[in-house]
Parts: sequence; structure tokens; C-alpha cells
Amino acid sequence: MPERLRRLAEVIVGYCGAVEQGDLVVLHGSMNTEPLIEQLYAATLRAGGRPATRVLPELSELLLTEGSEEQVAWLAPGEREDVEQADVWIVVEAPANTKALTGVDPERQALNQRARSPLRERYLERARRGELRWVLTGFPTNAAAQDAEMSLAEYEDFLYGAALLDAGDPVARWRELSADLRRIVEFLSAREELRFVAEGTDLTFAVGGRTWIPADGHENFPDGEVFTAPLEESAEGEITFTFPAVFEGRRVEDVRLRFRAGEVVEATAMRGEAFLQEMLAVDDGARRVGELAFGLNDAVRVFTRNILFDEKIGGTMHLALGSAYPECGGTNRSALHWDLICDLRSGGEVYADGELVYRDGRFLAL
Amino acid sequence: MSDPRVARLAELAVSYSLGLKPGQVVRVDAPPVAAPLAVEIYRAALAAGAHPYVDLELERLPELLLAEGSDEQLDFVSPIARAELEELDALVTVWAESNTRALTHADPDRHRRLLAARQELSKLRWARISGGELAWLGVLFPTEAHAQDAEMSLAAYERFVYRACHVEEPGDPVAHWQGLSRELSARADALARARELRIVGPGTDLRVGIEGRRWNAADGRSNMPDGEVFTSPLETATEGEVSFAFPALFHGREVAGIRLRFEDGAVVESEAAQGREYLDALLAMDAGARHLGEVAFGLNYEVDRFTQNTLFDEKIGGTMHVALGAGFADLGGRNESALHWDLVCDLRADGEVFADGELVWRAGRFLEQLEPAVERA
Repeated sequence: MPERLRRLAEVIVGYCGAVEQGDLVVLHGSMNTEPLIEQLYAATLRAGGRPATRVLPELSELLLTEGSEEQVAWLAPGEREDVEQADVWIVVEAPANTKALTGVDPERQALNQRARSPLRERYLERARRGELRWVLTGFPTNAAAQDAEMSLAEYEDFLYGAALLDAGDPVARWRELSADLRRIVEFLSAREELRFVAEGTDLTFAVGGRTWIPADGHENFPDGEVFTAPLEESAEGEITFTFPAVFEGRRVEDVRLRFRAGEVVEATAMRGEAFLQEMLAVDDGARRVGELAFGLNDAVRVFTRNILFDEKIGGTMHLALGSAYPECGGTNRSALHWDLICDLRSGGEVYADGELVYRDGRFLAL
Repeated sequence: MSDPRVARLAELAVSYSLGLKPGQVVRVDAPPVAAPLAVEIYRAALAAGAHPYVDLELERLPELLLAEGSDEQLDFVSPIARAELEELDALVTVWAESNTRALTHADPDRHRRLLAARQELSKLRWARISGGELAWLGVLFPTEAHAQDAEMSLAAYERFVYRACHVEEPGDPVAHWQGLSRELSARADALARARELRIVGPGTDLRVGIEGRRWNAADGRSNMPDGEVFTSPLETATEGEVSFAFPALFHGREVAGIRLRFEDGAVVESEAAQGREYLDALLAMDAGARHLGEVAFGLNYEVDRFTQNTLFDEKIGGTMHVALGAGFADLGGRNESALHWDLVCDLRADGEVFADGELVWRAGRFLEQLEPAVERA
């Protein structure tokens, strides 16, 4: 589907990355992203930008199993340069096998991640200062399709649908969605308390004074959510997560959490409960909610075990255990940030300061 | 199942060609089609204690840039690429193409502009290489496209390539290359004492001044496969005419039946049976493009046929080649150009070469063996 791929690239370069004349645009991806990287390269040229590519074979397993500690913790000179010099940084994810690192020693993986975290901090810092725009997106592979329990062709339809490429001018559709998200943000920003009610769920948060952010396709793509950081000691009640919770390839099912004064006081799961308890014990912040969000992309309807998409399913809410986004006003700190999703599409309700504002996956007044 | 020959080639590249040491930073540039070799070099470099990384260069990007880029975009050199180059201790360029003719129809003027812009990086690279700060290796990974140009099956072409590198069979390729290195060095020393070479063959009678220039023994450290001795001739002392038996390729375009006439070191007449216009465009690239930057003897006798690939063709045992354009500063060459285009002259049947009037080479062989010939497996 080269035509859809071309349109996808146009949206990512023109809308998400907002590439302008003279921008240095780093295109980062694995080897199997070649068709999309080519289209992003051409779209960047058409936008007047200066494309540079960083395409890598799958080497993580080799490095993590055969490298010395010093080699595992090493950063290539080009990686630091990318982060320092790029005006726009577009990362395309396309795993050849989502479980390729299952057998790798987690400590060596952690060593590698610790070494890489200054890169992440630096690009987030440059993004905050407005010096860098970044976009994380996905390219359909059999591995991702397999996790979603779809054929590759079905998964491609899913992904391009989620990117709003199927009808009309996609950039116009993203601008419309962005306007909708901003209206919802304005509406929620005026509220002090939110109560979520669904089967197995009755949970209240205080959100007064916190900042809601519309995620409208400028850092993740596809996108479509609004999120904030609730007051750290406010969560009261219980919640049942309808979708399996996947964290670094590990899966936990039918998670139920009970909160008191913002903290998880009871946690159960039908499958993977030990892993759930382990994650909750990572540090003090792991038992508190760092993020509260509404998924609002109605073109994402099914669960695909990829958090980039799952948390945007229209008609769902999610919360993340662990670290909060400081830009929302959140103060919770943790090494964990684990998104857990609750479907509100059949029978879910949300009350804002006591008023019913959302039912069956939709805001009533907006 | 990975090909053990690829692993042997990677090991040879890391241990012999580059001589990587612990802590050295090495980048491997390769197109995706050559990923198997890039990954094996990465593995061998890790085992040597170096810090390797791989940069896959997508093959269609130059075509896209030539088709869609503005002049400003063609001229642009990434500051990232510049800064990165400064930090490398070693660089491997893996040559491998999926289609060697993908740029045949690109606009020659725009292509020239792109190459001229890239010269900034290549100058920086060569400066670091000749200053001894950067080890560089260019190595070929066999693909269907290269096999097709060579008019072989991929399996036959792989055997040809790996034999030329001496990794076709298990054994000690390092010992082979060390032996050849000694032999080529002795030849280079002998040639450095000559003032002039006269090359005589079919349609060819060319005098090339080489007095005071150093000769380099190309012994597998910068190219793999390898096997030649070369220098940069005096810029204004080439006289006479030369015919090239093999078609010459430059960035996917073929020019065949080339004849050149030189006066005072510059091309004053040029003709080609095919691709005349492109030949003229290349000669007009800049002032240095009409002068020779290299003269060389091909001495890898495992490379016994023309395969439409300069890396191999210029090493065919029994041939000579000259390059139009940039010379080698470290050998005393002063010619500067964005061009460096190797043209191969087959001397295997009845060619003769005279050094200062004395016959030193006939029918593809030096007459005097300087060292006992090393055994060629």
C-alpha cells in the first residue's frame, strides 16, 4: 500500500513533526522500517527539511549477550549528536519479534537502559525548551500483528485507520480531533473531582489545580487522549482493568486494585499476580497513580497489546501506576510507569463534581 | 544458518585489515542488503573489545534526493555526520547494491552537485585516514545485482568474491595477506625508484611521469579483496594515448570503448563508443577531472575476469589502471577533484610496460620476481 504509506509519511512530517524549511530531521528506525523511512525522507525533502537517517539492524540481543559491561553501557557518538543537533526527531518502531529479548539477563538490560537514560533526559529537556520536536510512531510488522492476533493485512488496516488516513484529508481530521481534545481539556480543567463507575469499578480522584494535556499527535502517532496527574493522596475506591496489562513483555490479567488515600492497599490478578506485586514493590511511588487519562481515538477500537495504541482506544480510561508528568503538576516519582486500561464503552460512567458527564465511552455534553 | 565465509571475512576485516584494539570506536556503514556482514563485523568487533555500531544506509535515498531535493538540499552536509566522523577510530564501508543501475537516469548535473557536496565529508575522512587517525576498510558483500553484472549466479559470484578475499575455505587468511603484503611492499619500493612508466598495448602508448612519488602496496588493509600497487603520477607529465578494454562504470552508469589522449598531463581528446555525453560531463566536473590522480598495477591473480565492479576489476592480476581525478596526497599527489574514476586497461594478452626505458612487465606479469612467490591457496 505505497499510497497509504506516502499519506502516513505526509501526516507525520507535516502535522506531527511540523517540519519547516531548513529543519534537521533525524529519522530513526530498525531495518524493517525501510519503506516508511524512505517515505518520511521524501516527505521531509518536500517540506524543505534536511533529512538524516539512523537505521539499525537488530543488534540488542547480540550486544546484551556477548558484550562486556563496558560495551553494554557505551553510547555511540552519533546518538549523542542526534539528540543535540536534531530539530525534529522521528522514531519508527517495528519489532521483528516482540519477545526477542525474553532470554536476556534483566540486569544487563537495566545497565543498558541506565546508560541510555541521559539521552532520553536530554531530548525531553530540549523538547521542553521548544528546541526539539519528537514523534514516536509504529510501522506494521508481522510481530506486531501477531501480538494483536491479526494478519499483517488486518494490522495494516488497523494502523492506518488509527492514523485517520482512511477518509478525507488526514491533516484536517487530526486538526478536528485536536480541537475536540482541547474542548475536553477545557471542560475537565474546571473540575475538582472525577468518579469512575463501571462493573467492578468505583474510583474517585481529585484533579483540581492539575493541568490536563491534549495528546493530539505531536509526540505519539497515532494519538488521541487527554491526560493529567491526579492529586497523589486522592485516589479512593476500587477499579477492575478489563484489558490484560502488558509490561515489558510480561502479561497480567484481570487486575483489581483498591486505593485508600491515594495508595494501593489491595491488589489481585487472575494471572501474573506475583509480577503485579513485584512491580508495586519497586519503590514508594509505584503504589500511587501518576497519570489519569481518557482514550479518545475512536478509530482505535481493539486491544493490540501495544501500549502506544491501547491507551488511545476511544471510550476507555487508563491510569498509570508510578511516575507522573511534571508538566501536569504531578509530584509522584517512581522508576515505574505502568499504564492500565479500563473499558468504559458498555455501561461505564464518569461523574465530575457529582454530575454525570460521560456514559458508555462518550462525553455527554461535548 | 549463517554463512561461515561471512564470519571469516568479518574476522579478517577486524583482526587484519583494521587491527581493532579494545576501546576503539568503529562504525560499519552498510546498506540493508549487506546486514549479514555488518552484523558479523559487529560481533567480531565486540569480541575484540571495541565499541562497534552500525549505520544502515538505505539504497533508495540518493535517488529520492536527486528526484525531490532542492539545490540547497543537495548541497547540505549534516553537522551530525561531520561531528561523528571526528570521533571514529575506524570505519568500514560495506559495498553492496540491490541494483547497480538505479541512478542511470538521474540528472547528471544534479548528481555532480550532490557528489561535490559530499566531497566535504570525504575530504575530512581522507585527511583523518592519511593522518593515521582513522583506519578505513572498504569491503564488498556479494548480492544478486553484483552477480548479475558479473554475469554469474549468486552462488558462483560468492565463491569468486570469497576466493579473492581468501576466506572461501577454512584456513588462515591472515597469513596469506601478510605474505602478499611483503611481496607488494617490495614491488612498491622498486617502482618508487623509477622516473617514468611507458605503457604499451592495444590502442595504447602512454608515458606517465612518476619521479619522486611514493608507491602504496594495497595489501588488504583498506580494501578487501585487494592486491595492487599504486601511486599518484606527476600532474603535468602524462603524454600519449590510452584505450580501455573494459567498460567503465561510475555510479551506475556505463561508459564503454573509452579512448583518451593526454598532453602535458591533461586529457585533450576523449571518445567513447557508448556514454560519450556522460564521459564529457565527468571530465568537465572540475579542473582536476582531466588529470590523472592514480596509476596502478592489478596483482590479485584470483581475480581473473571483468565483473563490472571497480573494486575487483582494478585488481585483476595482469591489468593496469589509471584514475581520472583526485590524487593521493600521502603519496605526493597534488591533483584535487570531486572525481576519482578508475579506468582499467587489460595488458594480459600482449601488453608491455617499460620503466625508464627498460622492459619490466610483459603479458600481465612482472619479469623479475622480487621475492619468492608466496603460495596462493
